Order: sequence, then C-alpha cells, then structure tokens
Amino acid sequence: MENAPVCSTAPSSEGAALQCPLMAQIEARSLTKTFRVPEREGGLAAALAGLLRRRYRTVEAVAGIDFTIAEGEMVGFLGPNGAGKTTTLKMLTGLLHPTSGRATVLGYEPWRRESAFLRRVSMVMGQRTQLNWDLPAMDSFLVHLAVYGVDRSAGRRTLDELVELLDIGDCLRKQVRTLSLGERMRCEICVALLHRPAVLFLDEPTLGLDIAMQARIRRFVADYNRREGATVMLTSHYMADVTALCRRIIVIDHGRILFDGALADLARRLAPFKVVTVDLAGDLDGYALERLGAVLARGFRKATLRVPKERVAEVIGRLLADLPVLDLTVADPPVEEIIAQVLDGRGAPA
Amino acid sequence: MLLRSAFPAFLRMSLATMFQYRGEIALWAIWGVVYPSVAMAMWAAAVAGSPDGQTIRGFAPRDFAAYFWLTMVVGHATTAWDVYELGYFVQTGQFSPRLLRPVLPVWQSLADNLAYKLVTLAILVPIWAVIVLLTRPAFGTRTVDLAAGLPAVLLAAAVNYGWCYNVAMLSFWVTRMDAIGQGWFGAGLFFGGRLAPLALMPEALRKIASALPFKWVTWFPCETLMGRLSPAAVTQGLINQLAWIALGLVVFRIAWRLGIRRYSGVGA
Amino acid sequence: MRYLRLIGLFAKVSVQNDAAYRADFAAHVAVTLLNFAAELVGLWTIFSNTGSLGGWNAWHMLALLGVFRGMYGIIGLFISPNMRRIMDDVRQGTLDFVLIKPVNAQFYASFRGLVVWRLADILLGAVLVAAACARLSAEVTVAGLALFVAMLACGVTIIYSFWLVLATGAFWLTRVTNMEMVFWNVFEAGRYPVEIYPPAVRWMLTYVVPLAFLTTFPAGSLIGKVEPFNVAAAAGFAALALAGASWFWRFGLRRYSGASA
Repeated sequence: MENAPVCSTAPSSEGAALQCPLMAQIEARSLTKTFRVPEREGGLAAALAGLLRRRYRTVEAVAGIDFTIAEGEMVGFLGPNGAGKTTTLKMLTGLLHPTSGRATVLGYEPWRRESAFLRRVSMVMGQRTQLNWDLPAMDSFLVHLAVYGVDRSAGRRTLDELVELLDIGDCLRKQVRTLSLGERMRCEICVALLHRPAVLFLDEPTLGLDIAMQARIRRFVADYNRREGATVMLTSHYMADVTALCRRIIVIDHGRILFDGALADLARRLAPFKVVTVDLAGDLDGYALERLGAVLARGFRKATLRVPKERVAEVIGRLLADLPVLDLTVADPPVEEIIAQVLDGRGAPA
Repeated sequence: MLLRSAFPAFLRMSLATMFQYRGEIALWAIWGVVYPSVAMAMWAAAVAGSPDGQTIRGFAPRDFAAYFWLTMVVGHATTAWDVYELGYFVQTGQFSPRLLRPVLPVWQSLADNLAYKLVTLAILVPIWAVIVLLTRPAFGTRTVDLAAGLPAVLLAAAVNYGWCYNVAMLSFWVTRMDAIGQGWFGAGLFFGGRLAPLALMPEALRKIASALPFKWVTWFPCETLMGRLSPAAVTQGLINQLAWIALGLVVFRIAWRLGIRRYSGVGA
Repeated sequence: MRYLRLIGLFAKVSVQNDAAYRADFAAHVAVTLLNFAAELVGLWTIFSNTGSLGGWNAWHMLALLGVFRGMYGIIGLFISPNMRRIMDDVRQGTLDFVLIKPVNAQFYASFRGLVVWRLADILLGAVLVAAACARLSAEVTVAGLALFVAMLACGVTIIYSFWLVLATGAFWLTRVTNMEMVFWNVFEAGRYPVEIYPPAVRWMLTYVVPLAFLTTFPAGSLIGKVEPFNVAAAAGFAALALAGASWFWRFGLRRYSGASA
C-alpha cells in the first residue's frame, strides 16, 4: 500500500525532486469533519437549564474537500479563522479522525497512526510547542532524535546543519521559556525537521513574528523544500508567506474549497481588473475620475483607479489627454484583495 | 526497537526537568510524609483512649509507628499522578504533540514517574530517617520478609501506575478530571490502608477493599515488610498483585484504542 | 452596599461559568459527597477501635469534622481561587486589569471569582455540626453557640489573611504557587484536634502555624473545650492578622507599580 519512492530525493542530487515524475503524496477525497458543540445562551437561567439538558449543534468544520498534492510541492492553505484549515491539517497528521471521506499521506491512512507514517511527517504549530519549556532546547532536540530513532551520527549531522542554517547556536543552551518568540519558533522548526520528514505541515509558523523574522523563516522553508524535495503544506494569515513560498494555493472557507490552483491563475481568473496609478504635475481640480473607474485612492497630485481590463487602454488614453501626467503605472491588484474577493463570493470559484 | 533509544532519552529529560523543579516536587513529596505522620499521631492518641489503653488489635503505638512509616515509604515508591496529568495534557492541547511521536505517550509519563521518585529521594531519605529516630518504630522484619516485601513493593508500583493510567484515560471522554482524580486518590488512601491497617476496619469496608486494587498497593507490601503476614498470605498477595497487573494491561490495550479513537473523533 | 452587590454579581457569573461544565459540576458534588462519606467511614473506623481521641469522643469529633469541612469549603469557595489568580496575575503582568478597576483592589482581587460548588462542603459541614449539637444538647449552650460563631469568624479572618500574605509574596518571589501546597499539607493536620499531637507539635500548630484557631478552637468552643486565654488570643490574632495582611498587600502593590513603571 505504501508508495515506494521511485527516485532518490537525496539532497546531493540537485533538483532531484523536480526531475521525479510527480506522485500524489497527499490525497483527500470528500474529506469531512463535523463537530457536535453544546449551545448555550447567556444568563443565569440558561446556565442552570444547561446543567439539566443540553442542546447541541452540529458544525461542519470541513465539508467534503478534495485535493491532491504531489511530492515536493509546496501548497499554501488559505482562509479566515475557523475556515477549517487546522482541522484539515490535523486529519492529515492523524490527530483527528474524519467523519467521512478518505485521505492518504505517503500512502498511509494518517489516523491509523502507524509508526512508519509518523516518522516521516512533521507538524509545526505556531501556538503550541513541542519543546520542553523548562530545559535547554538542546535537550529536546536530543530526545527527539532518540524518539524518532534517528541514527546517532546522522542525527548529529542534521542537527548541526539545521542549527547553522537557522542560526540558533546561541539558543541551544538556554531554557526554552527564556527564548524570544523568534528564537523559539526557529527552534520549533529545527526540532520538527530533525528526522528529515518527507511531508511537513506548517500551521501558522510565522504568527506574531516581526517582518524580518517572517522573511527569514520563509527563506528557510523554501530552502528545505528545495534541498530535501519535501512536500510542504502551509497555513498562514500572512499573505506574504504564501505568495513568497507557494506557487499553488488552496482557498478554503466554511469547510469548502473555493479555489485550488496557481496563484497567477487566481489573479487572472478572479480579478479582471488592473490598478492604474497616476502622478500629476498639477492638481486634480475636481476632475471626474469616477467616470473612468472605481477610485481606490485620491490624493493631491496622485490617484489610484481600479479599471476593468478591457478598458485599460481607453482609460490611459483619456488620462494622458486630460491631465498633466508625470508618471503612470498599471499593475495587478494585490493578492489580499483577490483573496478577499474569493471569500466574499464575488469571484466565480474555480 | 524504537523504545530502546526513546525510553532512556525520556528518562534523561525527565530527570533534568525534575531537577529544574526540585523545589516544587520536594513539596509534593513532603505531602506523602504529612498524611502518614498525622495518622500515626492519631492512632497513638486512639490507643490511649482504647479499652485497655495499651494496644488496638495487636498494634501498640510503636507498631503503628512502624506501619505508618512503611506506608510513607511504600506510598512514595508506588505513587502516580497521571489521573491529573493526562487530563491536563488533553485539555490544554499538549497531548497532540506527544501523540504525533512514533512512541506511545505512556512511556514518557512513566519516565517522569521514575524520575520523580528518584530525584525526591534526596529530600525524603533524611526526613524518613528523622522520623524513625523520633518515633522508634517496632519493625518485626526478618530477612525473609524483606525478600518477599521488596518484590511486593515493585509489583505494587506497577499495579498503581497501570491502574492510575487506566483511570486517567477517562480524560478522553470527560472534560475535567480533577473530580475523578480526587475520588481515585481518596479511595486509595482509605482502601489502601493508609488511614488504618485493614485489620482495624469494620468488616463491611474490608469486603469492599478486597474488591479494589488499592490494598495490594499499600497495605500488602507494608504488612509483608513488617513481617505480620503468614507465608501463605504473602504468596497469595503476590499472585493477586500479578493478576491486577495482567488485568490492567488488558484494560489498557482496549481503553487506549477506544480512547484514541474518541480523541481523534472530537478534536485534538 | 455596592460591595455586597458586587459580590452577588461575582457569584452569579461564577455560577454561570461552573454550570457550563455540567459533568464537572456533577462530579464535584459527587466528590464532596465521597469525601464526606470517607470522613464518616474514617470516624467509624477510628471509634470502632477506641473511645476517645485526645479527650474528644465520637460526637465531639463529628462537630470538629463539620468545622474542618466547612473551613475547607470556605477556603475553596473564595480564598484559594482568588489568591491563586493574584499570583497568576502578578506573574503574567495582568494584575493591571485589577488595579484599573474603580473599586478597592484588595476587595476586588479577593472576591472576583467564587467556586460555587464549594458551598456543598459548607452545607455538609453545617449539617455535621448541627447533628453533633443535637446529640450533645446537654453540653451545648447558647453562649457556647455564640462563642462558636465568633471563633469561626476569627478563624476565617486568620486564614484569609494568611493566604493574602502568601499571594502578596508573589510580588517578590515568582514561585509562591507552591506555598499553596505547603498550606494544604499543614491544613491536613487540622482534621483532628491538636490534643492528639505531642506537646511541641501542638504548641507549633497553635502559635506558629495558627491551625488550631481554624478547627480545634471553634469546635472546642461549641462544647466548652476551649480556654479563655485562647478565645482572647483568637480575637487578637484575627485583628492583627487582617491589619498586617492588608498593610502587606498595599506595600506589595506599591512595589509592583514602582517596578512596572
């Protein structure tokens, strides 16, 4: 049942992952998870009534999703809070048993929690730690190597490598509770990668970090994906994480997939608009920009318009003719806005 | 086998953690001294108020001192707190990272248990020694009692740990475990013979105690070590301990399977 | 008046919170009953072997047990949960939310959460005391009852002050949470009259760790077993402890605001 690796993913052979015929490594078919949650109204009377009889409501956290992720792919999993992202990741790591549907990861059914499966995946949770809070990070690393049965010298090599790449040499001997969030997160990633997982799940790995640290972690993840040919699935609130790392994204809301495809496609398909920005030599003087398109911003000598694609040429012509234009740019709308459109249901889902 | 490398690693980490928290765990350990000491004082006072003023069912004050001193030591050797801890892990979400590992979480808990017992010896041994000096217990221990009593203590630790963990697994079904934990510990104190040697209990309560594992955890090793039990009773007791361990393992296997199914069904 | 209303409000919110955990609520009541049963069974065991415990007979012990259980309930009802929260707040720096409230900080910090199901302990304790009184009607006088109530009030004041000092200690020491463990360790000894302990221990449990004022003396006053000196000591000690603890709390707050500024 297990997918035997057809080709080597040894880090030495450059780009090995890309040359491989792409195999499905993560597969979800009609994957569904529903929860039964107690319902309670406010107030003392309701609280006491709830003691006796309790009403339940069924919540569909994940409502039958399908996708296939190939070996070495890096996929961004986007959606608002409560969309079902974490629930999906937990089903794929075997922490949750689905209500219905199927999923396989590396050819295993995750929730059977076979040792051979667990030893080839890893999960980083931004809000939860798998490090021992009270001990130096190094102790947790060594325990992790033993628990995953990593050969001593190979483990040591991986550890040294990761410590250097993540630049956490100074943190190793400090108690984890005394580390800064950025340091702790890097240690967290280090421990998750010590057994060189073939599939890596990252749940909000950059939550609460500053911009520089986010970029650093992003670079590292991209690098790991390239070097090891590991499959990575990533959820994040920060659009920058996703645009920087993932060519493919899956947008989910209310437990349903709204879009699954290339980031570039998303922009093309869902945003038939361009954003036109003009800098002027003189004042706008009440010029009726509204006739040309939706005004996104209007400054003293500057304006930004959203213009349907087919009218772009016409609008530029008008602007140049009517106004003292110093500079003019045409760009795609920002990803945040496109995703917001998907979630609002304005764009037609794929 | 993975466990061969994992368990020593767990044990090393547990020892380091316990050492970090030596102050806190010392306080927990001292709890195990207070309860038997209070019982000791209480029964000494009770002897004075008894009909003959000398003994109660063959226990003179110095026999009580010996018995309760032993419950102190055996109580420490057999203690387990997973009823609280597992529930806490499940509730705070700390159980999920443990479950992701390719080794059963119970092994890590067992390492914590052993580490605690070892590290706290540093404070307990002197306290135990002082109590012996102050209360002058009358031990009737012979070599043969030691030979039977030490295995009995080890088996008792296994009985208690296994059943404590089994009860702890209720936390997959029940949201907060403190109530169940208190019930478990309370029953352990009373039916284990830590308030009174079982011989002093009313007949009805002794019957209940026979149906529970607790008397094999505390009372049996203590009375064996005191040399108060006949060879036949000692043999019977050891067999009973083994039976409780075997039953505990069976229950563990079933409950663990059902528990994980439940845990991964309702949300981790 | 406003403060009484606030306590009422805190209690109401606490009931709602606790009621949300239905199984827990039921289980807690069950544990209280179990504890209660265990204590009675313990008494049964003791007095099926002896006639008295340091001069206290079975019915005297029942009254003492009632006081112990009631005291346990009072500590669990509002003292220990609120004090624990103060320690957590100090550690996490969230005490500011207490200090910006427009009410007396000591009052607010001491009463903001009530563990309602502990009322069951208090109720059971009262039932035990009442049962003992009914049986010992020859020994119990009206004056004794009045003294009992007064001594009980002193006991609660002393234990509240004791905990407030512990919690205030969190301003200096980060790990005081463990002091709670020490307290419960010692409190366990209050289950029996201090007369059962050797003289040196008895003296310590009275004047160093004022455990006797919590259980032995209130129960003793009910059945005329307490010396006048100890009544006076209870009153004096309670007044001193409360004043001292409040001063210490304010002192700690000054340090806290100074340190966080």
